[in-house]
Amino acid sequence: MKIKPKFTISTKKINGWITFIILLIAAVISVFPFFWMVVGSTNTSADVTMGTMSFGSALKVNWNNLVEKASLLRIFWNTAKTTLIYTFLSVLICSMAGYGFEKYRSKSRNLLYNVFLISMMIPFASQMIPLFKMMNKLKLMDTHTAIILPTLAMPFLIFFFRQSFISFPTEIIEASRIDGANELRIFFSLVLPPMRATFAAGFIYSFMKQWNNYLWPLIVLQSNEQKTFTLLLSSLSSAYFVDYGQLMLAIVLATLPILIVFLTMQKHFVTGIVGSSK
Amino acid sequence: MKKRTKKLINYNAYGWFFVSFALILFCVFTIYPAFESIWLSFQTFDEGAFRFSGLDNFKRMLGDKLFFKSMANTFLFLIIQVPIMKVLALSFATMLNKPKLKARGILRTAIFLPCVTSLVAYSVLFKMMFSMNGIVNNVLMSLDVLSESFQWLQNPIWAKIIIIIALTWRWTGYDVIFFLAAMQNIPAETYEAAQIDGSNSWNTFWKITLPQLKPIILLTMIMSTNGTLQLFDEPMNITMGGPANSTLTMSQYIYNQSFVYSPNLGYSATLSYVIVFIMIILAIIQFRITGDDAK
Amino acid sequence: MKKRFIALTLVVALLITALTGCKAEKPAPDSSGNAKNENNESNNDSTDTSEPTTLTVWAWDDNYNIPIMQLAGEYYAKENPNVSVEVISLAKEDVYTKMQTGLSAGGTGLPDIVLLEDYVSAKYLQTFKGSFADLTDKVDYSNFLPFKIDAVSNSGRAYGVPLDTGASILFYRTDLIQEAGYTDADMQDMTWEQFIEIGKAVKDKTGSYMIVEMAANKTTLLRSMMQSVGKWYFDSNGEISIVDNVALEKGFALIKDMKDAGILYEAEGTGDRAGVLNNGTVASIVNGPWMASTIKAATDQSGLWRIASTPRFSDVEGAVNASNLGGSSWYVFESSKNKDIAADLLNKVYANSTEYYEDIMLAHACVSGYIPALSGPAFETEDEYFGGQKIYQIFADTLAKVPGVNYGGYVAEANDAITAAFAGVLSGDTEIKAALEAADAQLKNQLGR
Repeated sequence: MKIKPKFTISTKKINGWITFIILLIAAVISVFPFFWMVVGSTNTSADVTMGTMSFGSALKVNWNNLVEKASLLRIFWNTAKTTLIYTFLSVLICSMAGYGFEKYRSKSRNLLYNVFLISMMIPFASQMIPLFKMMNKLKLMDTHTAIILPTLAMPFLIFFFRQSFISFPTEIIEASRIDGANELRIFFSLVLPPMRATFAAGFIYSFMKQWNNYLWPLIVLQSNEQKTFTLLLSSLSSAYFVDYGQLMLAIVLATLPILIVFLTMQKHFVTGIVGSSK
Repeated sequence: MKKRTKKLINYNAYGWFFVSFALILFCVFTIYPAFESIWLSFQTFDEGAFRFSGLDNFKRMLGDKLFFKSMANTFLFLIIQVPIMKVLALSFATMLNKPKLKARGILRTAIFLPCVTSLVAYSVLFKMMFSMNGIVNNVLMSLDVLSESFQWLQNPIWAKIIIIIALTWRWTGYDVIFFLAAMQNIPAETYEAAQIDGSNSWNTFWKITLPQLKPIILLTMIMSTNGTLQLFDEPMNITMGGPANSTLTMSQYIYNQSFVYSPNLGYSATLSYVIVFIMIILAIIQFRITGDDAK
Repeated sequence: MKKRFIALTLVVALLITALTGCKAEKPAPDSSGNAKNENNESNNDSTDTSEPTTLTVWAWDDNYNIPIMQLAGEYYAKENPNVSVEVISLAKEDVYTKMQTGLSAGGTGLPDIVLLEDYVSAKYLQTFKGSFADLTDKVDYSNFLPFKIDAVSNSGRAYGVPLDTGASILFYRTDLIQEAGYTDADMQDMTWEQFIEIGKAVKDKTGSYMIVEMAANKTTLLRSMMQSVGKWYFDSNGEISIVDNVALEKGFALIKDMKDAGILYEAEGTGDRAGVLNNGTVASIVNGPWMASTIKAATDQSGLWRIASTPRFSDVEGAVNASNLGGSSWYVFESSKNKDIAADLLNKVYANSTEYYEDIMLAHACVSGYIPALSGPAFETEDEYFGGQKIYQIFADTLAKVPGVNYGGYVAEANDAITAAFAGVLSGDTEIKAALEAADAQLKNQLGR
C-alpha cells in the first residue's frame, strides 16, 4: 500500500477535488431556496414578488401580521403532538410487521405482505370518502386521533423495514433463542439497537410524512383549535391578496422544527456511516 | 423431533403477533375503504344520490381523451425523471460515502435538506424562481444566455422540464439518504480488500457497491414509481396542469373529477383502479428485473 | 435489558393514552363559553336563541371575507347576545374539497354557513339538491341586484345571500399612460382596439407591458368580455354556448392581438402577477375591486394608479363598458342544527343593514349587491392612492350597467376547456373556430352531455 506510484496519488487528489466541486454545486442548489425563504420572511410582500435577494426590515411587521391571524403556539402544539405520536406508533407498528414478515416466513404471511404492497398503490383520493364516512361513524371527526389512526400501518414503511431486516443475520436470532431469550425481547433488545440507523431513517420518513400531511387533515379537521401548520400555509397562500412576506415567514416557521428533527436524527444514522468507513 | 415441531408452531404465532397491529389497522382503514371505493366505481352520483350504473364509468374512460393525455404525461415523467434521479442519487451517495471528502457533513446535510420542505413552501418557491422576475431569468440574463426574460412555465416542453427539475430537487436527497443508509451496511473491510487488490473506484462501485445496494434500489424504485404515478402536488401547485394540459397528471385528473368539477366520485374511483392495475404490473416487472426472491 | 423493555412499554402505553386523550381535549362545537352569555334575559327575538349558540362558517380570505363575516357576527350579537360566529379559515379550493366530501358522505361534517363563489354555486345546488336550506321565504330579497339574485337561485328558489360583487374595472398606471402620450380621459369608456393602440405606445415608450393575465387560467379577460355583452359559456337555459359564442370568438382574436403586439404579460401565479403590477413591468389590469389591495401593497406608487371602466367590444351589439367578475354568496346547509338562526343572521345583517355594508366597504373594499348600500356618504370617500378618485362610486356605477347572465355552475370545467383550447390559438397552431370546437367537445365530454 505504501509503495504506490506518485501519479496515482495526484490523480486521486484531482478526483477528490472534482467530487468536492460537484457536490458543492449540488449543495448550493439544494440550499438556495432555503436561503431565499429566510430572506423573503424579512421583506415586504411587494419586495418578495419583485424578486428581492437581500435581507429587508419587514420581519417584525410580518411577524405581527402572522400572530394576529393565527394562534401559532396552538398550531405548533397540534402539529408537534400529532406528528410525534404518529411517528412513534407507526415506526413501532411497521417495524414489528416488517420483522414479522421477514423473520417468521410463512406462505400466508407472504401473501398478506403482497396485499400490503399492492394497497400502497391505491390513490388516496379514492379512499377519502369511505374513510371520511367511517370517521364520522366512529365520532372521530375533528379529532387528532382521526388524522393519526388511518395511516399508521404504512405499507411503504413495512416494506422498508422488511427489506432492512433481510441484512440482519438470522443466526444471531437463533443463537439467542437457544439461550432461551423471549421473542419480543430478541426484537427490542437484540435486533433494534444495531439497526438504529434504519430506525432513524424510518423515523424521519414517518415524521416528514405526517408533519407535511395535508389532504387528510384538511378533510377531517373542522375547527380552528385543531389546525395544523400545512392548513395554515394553505389558507395563507390562497387569499385574494397574498401577503408573501408573511407567507414566507410562516413557511420558515413551519420548516424549522422539521429541520431540527431532521438534523438530530441524521446524526444518528450518520455516525453509523462514519463508523463503518473508519 | 416432537419438541421442534411444537416450537415451529410457536414461532408462527409470534409471526402473527408481530404483524397483528399493522394487520388490524390495515383491514379497518385500507381494505374496507378499498372495497367500498371499488363498489363506488360501478356507480354514478346524480342529484345527491349514488345509483348503480354498471360499466358506464369504464366505457366513459375509454372515450376520455383527457385521461389518456394525463396518462401519457405521467408516463413521460416516470420514464425521464426517475432514471435521472436514481443516477444522480447513486452518484451523490457514492461521493458522499468517501471518507476523505472535505466538509462531508455539511455537504451531506445540504443535499438532504430539500426533502424536508412542505408542499406549499416548495411550490411557492419554484413558481417564483421561474417567473419573469425570478432568479433563473435574472441569472441567465446576466450571463448573456438570454437576452430577455423567458416565460418558462408557458412553454409546454419547458413546463414539463421544470416539473422534472422540481421533482429532482426535492426527492434526490431523499434517495441519497436511503442509499447512504444502505452503504453503511457494506463492511468497510470489503472496500479495503478491493483497494488492496488495486480495484479503482469505478470498478468498486460496479462490483461491490451496486450489487449490495440492490434491495434498496428496488425499494426506492418502487417508491418513486408509486410516487410518480400518483404525482399530484407539483403539477397542481406549480403549473396547475398547464399550459394546455401539458403537465396534467392522472392523479390530478382524478382529483379534478372528485373535487374541482361536478363530483364524479364513481368515475374517479374507476380511474383510480386503472392506476392501481398499471402499478401492479409495473411492480411485478420491477421485481422480475431485479430478481427479488421474495416474490 | 429488561429495564429498557419495560421503559419502552411504558412509553407506548403513555402514547396510547395521549392518543385516545386527543378526543376529550376538544371542546364540543356548540358549547362556546362565550362571555356574551351573561345577558341571557335580554333575548326577545322570534328565533330561538335562548341557548348559547355558535354558528360555524367556512370562508377563505383572512383579509377579506373572514373578518367581514366576523363583523356580521358582532352585528347580530348586539340583538342576539347568545349567538356567536366562528369563522374557519381555509383555502378557497379547500372549502370546495371539504364541502364536496361532506356532501358526498351524506351531509356530515359540515358547518352552518359556507361561502361559495357565484361561478360554482349552481353546480352544487344542482348536484346536491336538498342539501342547502331554501332561504326564499326567510330572507328579504327585494333589495338585491337582479343578477345577484339569479346567481343564488335554482329553479326559482333562492338558496344564498349575496356577499359581494366583482365589478370589472380597469386599473392602470397613469404615469406610464402619460409617458406614452395619452391622458386619463383617453382611458375612459374606450374600445378594446383603442386599448391595444395605447398599449403599443406604452410598450414603445416605456417598455412596460400593457396588461397582465394569469397564464394557467387565461379566462379573466374572456369572462369580463363575455358578460359585457350578456354572453356566457352557457345560455339562459344552461346549454353549452361556445362554438357560436361571438364574445368568445372576438375575445380570442383580441387577446391574440395583444399577445402578438407584445403587450400581454402572462403571469405564472398570483405572486408573479402582484410583482409585475408592483414594479411597473405591467401598466394595467382588468379585475374586480379586491385587486385594489394587491396594487396598494406597493406604497411607493401611491398617486400613480387610476381606475377606469373596462374597455368594450367595438363591433358586438349591446356591448357596454361594464362587466362583472365573480363575487360570492353565503349559503346555509340543510343539515345544520342552527339553520334558522343562520338564516336569521343572514337576513338581519345582509338584507337589512346598510350600516354594516358601509363598514365592510370602507374596511375591506367589499362592494355589495345590496342596492340601498350602493349609494350614500361612504361613496364620496376619495382614495389618495388612486389620485383622489371616488373609487366606490365608480364600482357602484359599473354594477348598475352589468348585463345579467346565467353562470350555469360549471364554470371550472368551462374555464379549463377554454384555457386548453386557447393555448393553441395563442401559439398560432390552431384557428379560432377549431379551438372553440375543441373546447366545446372537451366540455361536453366533461359534463357527460
